[in-house]
Amino acid sequence: MIVSVIAAAGVRASVGGATERFVDDRALESVPLRVRKTMSRGAVLATAAMHQLVGALPAGALRDAGCFVGVGASGGAVSELHAMLRASTVDGAWSLARFGGAGLAACNPLLAFQLMNNFTMAHAAIQAGVGTGVHGALFSRGAGTVHALAEAVAAVSDGDAAVAIAGGADSALHPVTRAELDRMHAWSGVPGEGAALVAVARGEGIARIVGCRVIEAEARAATALPEGAIVAITDAALRAVIADRAEVLDVSAALGECLAAGPALAWLCALDLLAGGAERIAVVTADVDGALGIVELERAS
Amino acid sequence: MTRRRVVVTGVGAWSPLGTTWPTTRAALARGETAVAPVTSWDATGFPCTVAAAIDVGTEVEDRRWPLARAAFVEAWAAGGLDAVAPARRGVFLGAESGRASFATVRALARAAGGGATLDPTAFAAAAPAFAARLDASVISPAAIAARLASLADARGPVATVSLACASGAAAIVDAVRAIRAGACDVAICGGVGADVEPLMLAGFGLLGALSARGESCPFDARRDGFVVGEGAAIVILAAAEVAGAHGGVEVAGVGRSLDGYRLTAPEPDGDGAFRAMRAALDDAGAAEIDYVQAHGTSTPLNDPAEMVALGRALGAAFARAYVSSVKGAVGHWVAGAGAIGALCAIEAVTSGLVLPTAGLRIADPSCAARHVMGAAIHAPVRAALVNAFAFGGANASLVVRS
Repeated sequence: MIVSVIAAAGVRASVGGATERFVDDRALESVPLRVRKTMSRGAVLATAAMHQLVGALPAGALRDAGCFVGVGASGGAVSELHAMLRASTVDGAWSLARFGGAGLAACNPLLAFQLMNNFTMAHAAIQAGVGTGVHGALFSRGAGTVHALAEAVAAVSDGDAAVAIAGGADSALHPVTRAELDRMHAWSGVPGEGAALVAVARGEGIARIVGCRVIEAEARAATALPEGAIVAITDAALRAVIADRAEVLDVSAALGECLAAGPALAWLCALDLLAGGAERIAVVTADVDGALGIVELERAS
Repeated sequence: MTRRRVVVTGVGAWSPLGTTWPTTRAALARGETAVAPVTSWDATGFPCTVAAAIDVGTEVEDRRWPLARAAFVEAWAAGGLDAVAPARRGVFLGAESGRASFATVRALARAAGGGATLDPTAFAAAAPAFAARLDASVISPAAIAARLASLADARGPVATVSLACASGAAAIVDAVRAIRAGACDVAICGGVGADVEPLMLAGFGLLGALSARGESCPFDARRDGFVVGEGAAIVILAAAEVAGAHGGVEVAGVGRSLDGYRLTAPEPDGDGAFRAMRAALDDAGAAEIDYVQAHGTSTPLNDPAEMVALGRALGAAFARAYVSSVKGAVGHWVAGAGAIGALCAIEAVTSGLVLPTAGLRIADPSCAARHVMGAAIHAPVRAALVNAFAFGGANASLVVRS
């Protein structure tokens, strides 16, 4: 398994006096300015991660790869939406007729691509010139990203792809997302963003995936967590369950609530630990809707 | 090891032409179209002022839900699967456009103070009231799959596939794979789209993808873009040994590919589409394709590229296969498009009713095929191919056979 990550790289003050973890622009330098201006934040993050992944492998290795990515609800950039709305008012009042003309003229012509969730995956793949094989963009607030990894593993196991990219990309910093999660009281940490991708293939790599499953919310209580070391993104219920475990690394606070990116970022934390000598780690990630993702990783021999 | 066969046990739809699949089918068979001027708001000045819309009432918080619920209830009513344990039931739904509704954007603008950029102070002050109006459990892309799972008492895998125009077909792909892999025995799958609203028409219009003439006429020499439509189509799939006598036609092959080409245009030779079709045909093994429910959006670039790809994928069989696109009649449902296409293909294999391409009068020479025009025809269909291709280059194909 080959890995790539764009993780939270800075902390700044945010609206409402809270803190948020955001990706520093320096981490996005591989993404053309044109793309950064026109695409959703999730697509930009995914593109940067994809570039990293491509750079870690021999040229062309991912050209025909499968590609399965957990994606968030993209949403238009607030600055774009404001420009559109501002141009759509007459004497301070909203005008649909004005919107149909001047409002649209003020828009980024690729606005629709910011609004469609799949572009987080599709744009990254196109920009990096990878992933022309089997694919999936699974909507995710955590669990969908684990589904994406399961799909990638299945694609390789079934022979549909020799190599498959899997991971997630998302930003919880969008005001609409913040409002949604505020209402749900669903923050597992401060708002965050990021992207993380891995390449899955048969044969030797840096780790083996020995388990990958999603436990739906209603089945959580009856599910026993794997023994041994755990890397976790927690909610209150998961924190209670693992409180007495000896080997637990809760990365929620460090990463922030990265939604679709969260589980993939946690996998990479676990891979670091495996590289440092750990033998086996279960990555247990709580979805904001209550589902649990469990990915079990073993150090490659 | 023998692969599990996956069969259809029921279908349901709410379309702009009818609130059930039989009523929709009857209208489609007559060659009717639901494309009409937008009346739910003043679309003056928009790049396209027509759509194939559904009136689900004004008090509905999420317009996708009544559509998907009705389609599911109809499909499930075909019966025979109530004894299947809830843990063995999965839901796989194609859905987009959750939170980016026009109303949400306007609420955001008000909360943010309406300036040129986000005013953090204004937003912080207004955020609680804004948040109170947003219920993520309703407007999330995943909300419909979650609500269907609850309605169906499905406690197996639940996934929302967000692949734009390929979502509905890709959700069926995922459902088939899940049943084959043993993750579930029954899958409620399909797609829903409810994009006839100002923001999405604006977005698609800005791309230059919509018909300025206001007509959906796939493969026609006059085509100049697609028309947005909306609706839901649900298919109930089951492992053949679970469906027993309730099982109908088989979803025998599934395929997916990415173009990896451009965001706004398909490859001129349709290579990505070809690879998806070829993968589905290979997955099905022996399948005599007598009918193709094409993606057929009515855009200048997509339609000929799809025909080139079809010719490559089907070879000699392309000349004999009937071809049609349901988008001429019901517009483009985006996340639901592949699912309503699947219903047309299932119908053809089940009953031999081959539905026409509404709006197609003079086929463009670059889209030459054995088109079904005017009204439906009856013909034996041993197997059918369904295509769904998305902006961004995601492609999904299905093979349905008797």
